Amino acid sequence: MMWETTITALLTLAIYTILVGDNPLYKFAEHLLLGLTIGYSLVITVKSILIPQAITPMAEGSLAAVIPIVLGSVMFLRVHAKLAGWSQIPLALLIGAGAGAAIPAMMQARVLKQVSATISGSGTLDGVIILLGVIVTIMYFVFTRPHSGGWGKAAVAGRYFMMIFFGATFAYTVMSRMALLIGRLEFLLADWLGVM
Amino acid sequence: MQRRIIFALLAIVVIAVMLIKPRLPITVTDSTRGVYDQIEALDSGAVIMLSFDHEASSLPEIGPIGAAIAEHCFRRGISVVGLALFSEGNALGYDLLSRRAADAGRTYGTDWMYLGFRPQYTAAILGMGENIGDVFATDYNGTPITSFPLGERVRTYDDIALVVSIADGSMPTYWIEYAANRYGEKIIAALSAVMVTSFTPYLESGQLAGILTGLKGAAEYEQLLGIPKAGTRGMAAQSAAHVLIAFLVLWGNVDAWRRRKSDGTKR
Repeated sequence: MMWETTITALLTLAIYTILVGDNPLYKFAEHLLLGLTIGYSLVITVKSILIPQAITPMAEGSLAAVIPIVLGSVMFLRVHAKLAGWSQIPLALLIGAGAGAAIPAMMQARVLKQVSATISGSGTLDGVIILLGVIVTIMYFVFTRPHSGGWGKAAVAGRYFMMIFFGATFAYTVMSRMALLIGRLEFLLADWLGVM
Repeated sequence: MQRRIIFALLAIVVIAVMLIKPRLPITVTDSTRGVYDQIEALDSGAVIMLSFDHEASSLPEIGPIGAAIAEHCFRRGISVVGLALFSEGNALGYDLLSRRAADAGRTYGTDWMYLGFRPQYTAAILGMGENIGDVFATDYNGTPITSFPLGERVRTYDDIALVVSIADGSMPTYWIEYAANRYGEKIIAALSAVMVTSFTPYLESGQLAGILTGLKGAAEYEQLLGIPKAGTRGMAAQSAAHVLIAFLVLWGNVDAWRRRKSDGTKR
């Protein structure tokens, strides 16, 4: 057995000690995980972005990377009380470009195509159920009208549709977490202890 | 019941089933078969993009899906271009593809290639629609991608038959918004189970070409490939854990109902 396997196994067990209660072993493993994750991400970003796309081209005489480097550096002025206003410039550029790209794409994918599919699918039984579910769920979220009479009954139906969704989501969450547990136990039993 | 007793019960049940290894039938769902059929229908020589959009913590659940898809592609002679839009997925994706390629005897640069990681996924996904080489000038190891035959063949999404986003979060949404809706690329989401209900509407509206669901999806895919591996091994333990949890949920509800009745309180 390789020593890395033993270290991994011991750290897995250290994380699982939280099930008994908070303790120094768990804290150590948790902090190690956080530190490693941040350190790894930083190294990957510097190695795959900063060096090949900014530092190397500038060292070779290309000035194309100067503008983003300057704008990125200006972001750090936020920590300076008097110069913090300058950081609004790159921030405004980021938000403007981000919103410009995101809003039409989000409207298309998350609203228009979903509405279109909900309406066009209503020829089937599944489609009718989905259409009804969407309508009564939206009715539940109309808070400017009292939930009484027919409207109230529809809102209650909307609540039941949401409960079915929450139940399905919770079941999938259980499935997901069990898969992670099984993965770690398989590692401990097969790779570390060799009993499988 | 004390939480610790539940944890202990769960551990005992899962470990016991893993050691006994009962063989349970695995039913392949239409969703998994749909993904399998789409890859099966591709011509040998087509290119699939595998994007490892997940963190290390999800590997036990979605690693087997990535492995099964890579195995299918290499078996069918389909080329694979790998990349990561999460920094944590970067090395994991490279490791997974290099192992599968070595097992299948596939050559780097011709049959598969790994582009590496790019932050700012919106810019990366949009940029690849114009020119993949502008976003990834070099591969994971720092070699210019145009120095490889596969890098020469693959310029934009027009040269990619399918994108499979192996994800534990919302990254497939961005593939849908920027690659599918803008460039007409077909997207398949290989998801951790917890994300499935969020993405089913995209499948129903035709914006996703398919969904694979967690370890269960991997087990079904392995069944179709005829190679029982990590997904299949985990299914008996997963089923046992689900039965135990369902029983505990029922027991908890009955117990709560009895207590309310004996207290004379109403909800």
